[in-house]
Amino acid sequence: MHSKLIAALVQQLGPAQARQEFRWMLKHSEHSLPDMVRRRCLGEPLQYILGSQPFGPLNLLIRPPVLIPRPETEDWVLKLADRISTPLKPPKYLLDLGTGSGCIPLLLCHLLPPGTLHAHGVDISPHAIQLATDNAALYGIPPHSPENTASNTFKTSLGNLLAPSFCDDAKLQPPYDIVTSNPPYISWNEYLELPRSVANYEDPKALFGGPTGLDFYHAIARLVRRDGFLRPGAIVALEIGHEQGQDVEHIMRVEGQLHDTEVWSDPWGKQRTVLAYR
Amino acid sequence: MLLLSRCLRTPAKNLRRFVPQRPFHDQADHKNVRIVRILEKRIEERKRLFSELSEEMSSPDDISRLKQLKESEPLQVAWDDLVRTRQLLNETDSLLSDSDEAMRALAVEEHDSLGKSLAELVETTIPSLLIPPSTTSHLSAMLELKSGVGGSEASLFLSNLLRMYLRLSNVRRWKANVVSQNDSDGGGIKDAIVEVKGEGVFEALRWESGVHRVQRVPATEASGRVHTSTVAIIVLPLMEETDNHNEELFNMEDVKIEVMRSRGAGGQHVNKTESAVRLTHIPTGITVSMQDERSQHQNKRRAFTVLRSRLMDQKLTREIAERRATRQNLVRTADRSEKIRTYNYAQERVTDHRIGLTLKNLSSVLEGDGLQDFLDALQKDHDETVLEDMLSGD
Repeated sequence: MHSKLIAALVQQLGPAQARQEFRWMLKHSEHSLPDMVRRRCLGEPLQYILGSQPFGPLNLLIRPPVLIPRPETEDWVLKLADRISTPLKPPKYLLDLGTGSGCIPLLLCHLLPPGTLHAHGVDISPHAIQLATDNAALYGIPPHSPENTASNTFKTSLGNLLAPSFCDDAKLQPPYDIVTSNPPYISWNEYLELPRSVANYEDPKALFGGPTGLDFYHAIARLVRRDGFLRPGAIVALEIGHEQGQDVEHIMRVEGQLHDTEVWSDPWGKQRTVLAYR
Repeated sequence: MLLLSRCLRTPAKNLRRFVPQRPFHDQADHKNVRIVRILEKRIEERKRLFSELSEEMSSPDDISRLKQLKESEPLQVAWDDLVRTRQLLNETDSLLSDSDEAMRALAVEEHDSLGKSLAELVETTIPSLLIPPSTTSHLSAMLELKSGVGGSEASLFLSNLLRMYLRLSNVRRWKANVVSQNDSDGGGIKDAIVEVKGEGVFEALRWESGVHRVQRVPATEASGRVHTSTVAIIVLPLMEETDNHNEELFNMEDVKIEVMRSRGAGGQHVNKTESAVRLTHIPTGITVSMQDERSQHQNKRRAFTVLRSRLMDQKLTREIAERRATRQNLVRTADRSEKIRTYNYAQERVTDHRIGLTLKNLSSVLEGDGLQDFLDALQKDHDETVLEDMLSGD
């Protein structure tokens, strides 16, 4: 029976990938194997079928249509954790815009010493907020510091980054030491060319970044430019599309008034993260 | 044994002068006398250390001396034991020719039991104290299995061997985890890497390194002809991230980290799982590829564990070679191209070629705990070699 299922997967994924994915499916015996293969052959992402995705040392819950954490994101968040872990106290306040599964703030909360990070994740999607909350619970990261124990915290709220009343809607409490975001950055043209497993399954609200793909970077620049929004020495770390490095650096310098910027590449050699320092 | 007791009955101070003049009839006796001589030397060292201690016992030199004395205390205990047993044996000797028959019988019995204690001391207790403590005894192991000649039959045999080690781990309560596995189309496994965690696992399994040969009629062979296929196994010391001597094994700048395959635009554009990672340690040319985990981070961690283990293995091999160069060291290094064992199905036999041990227990080796017999024999052989080496270097 296995060989028939593998053959079906091979048609979709090629032999090497099919064998890998089949083995990962075998490890999730709580689902029916033929059902998993059938769904995969229809183009559904493996992460939704298995219901999880490893992210750094975490294994996060994943549910459609919330954006699946990507290895590129994992890579830069691990790098960022190294960068911000050096000066320890006082505790830092982090804002994550478009938190999705909560992967960015939760990984940082997990990696940094207890009591050094208080993170706030905002998303426009109630699905995302629920999932991020579930993931925080899974790793025992509370929304508020329990009394007498130093612990990192993660709270969530709903909000639309593009709305004028965003700060109030999302109950933001600036100033922040760190702002992170993996905002939707796919342009209209690119959106039409997306693979089926992305376009048909993942939330367009997490992917589509306006006609040029840059809408959210403009919004973030306007936000961080506000008086008292960033603490001196703050870091803004933004994931970007593979050809948006220059544009986003420009937006952060000119519109965000953050003149010290750099671009990190991902493990595949593509520009992936813009860092801007206050 | 007779000669041994005669030698040992001589008062210790005369032993050295006395021994070399004796002709030796028996290899074992010769060895035992040398063991006692080494122990005596260590005891004299202890005496010297003791005499060098200052009155206050508080100088840095004193502290190092006290530490050495403390470490060699078990040797003193064994020596005292030896001297007492020898003395008792001496006293019993005169009773062996006692006029009273009952007394004589008692003396014979006593003499016998003392002789046994003496043998136990000299042949087991003292050697185990004299052999320097191993630096690898705490390490877990990483097994790399690769199918060799024999095509798909070799891959099938590899899966048999893999199961054998997993079963053994289960019996020994080691924690085994297959971290990488490449299945072959014929139903077997082309190669696999297994982490086996537990106290002393590396030392228990290290002699499994080498070429394992199977002689059998493959399940796929219609004509009933016996095939010979091989699987190569390398047992590495498992170097976990938490081991503190990792730093010296490599510099991070010397490791090239590559991700496999192109992801096109990557990021939000792609949600396919492509987590394969390849490390290259530039100075040694060691490359490690890992793709079994769904996360690149985890594959990278696993790959680094393999890299560290291989580098540690090279370091150990180098150290053995250096020791061998400085003094005539007999301890064998595992030659990985050497055929070490044959599994013959028709004769239900397993032969270990290094120690010439053949047991008719193939099913028990593959399906039960029969492998332990081989591990024990190999360990014993190794211990003897180390002791022999120590004696010859004395």
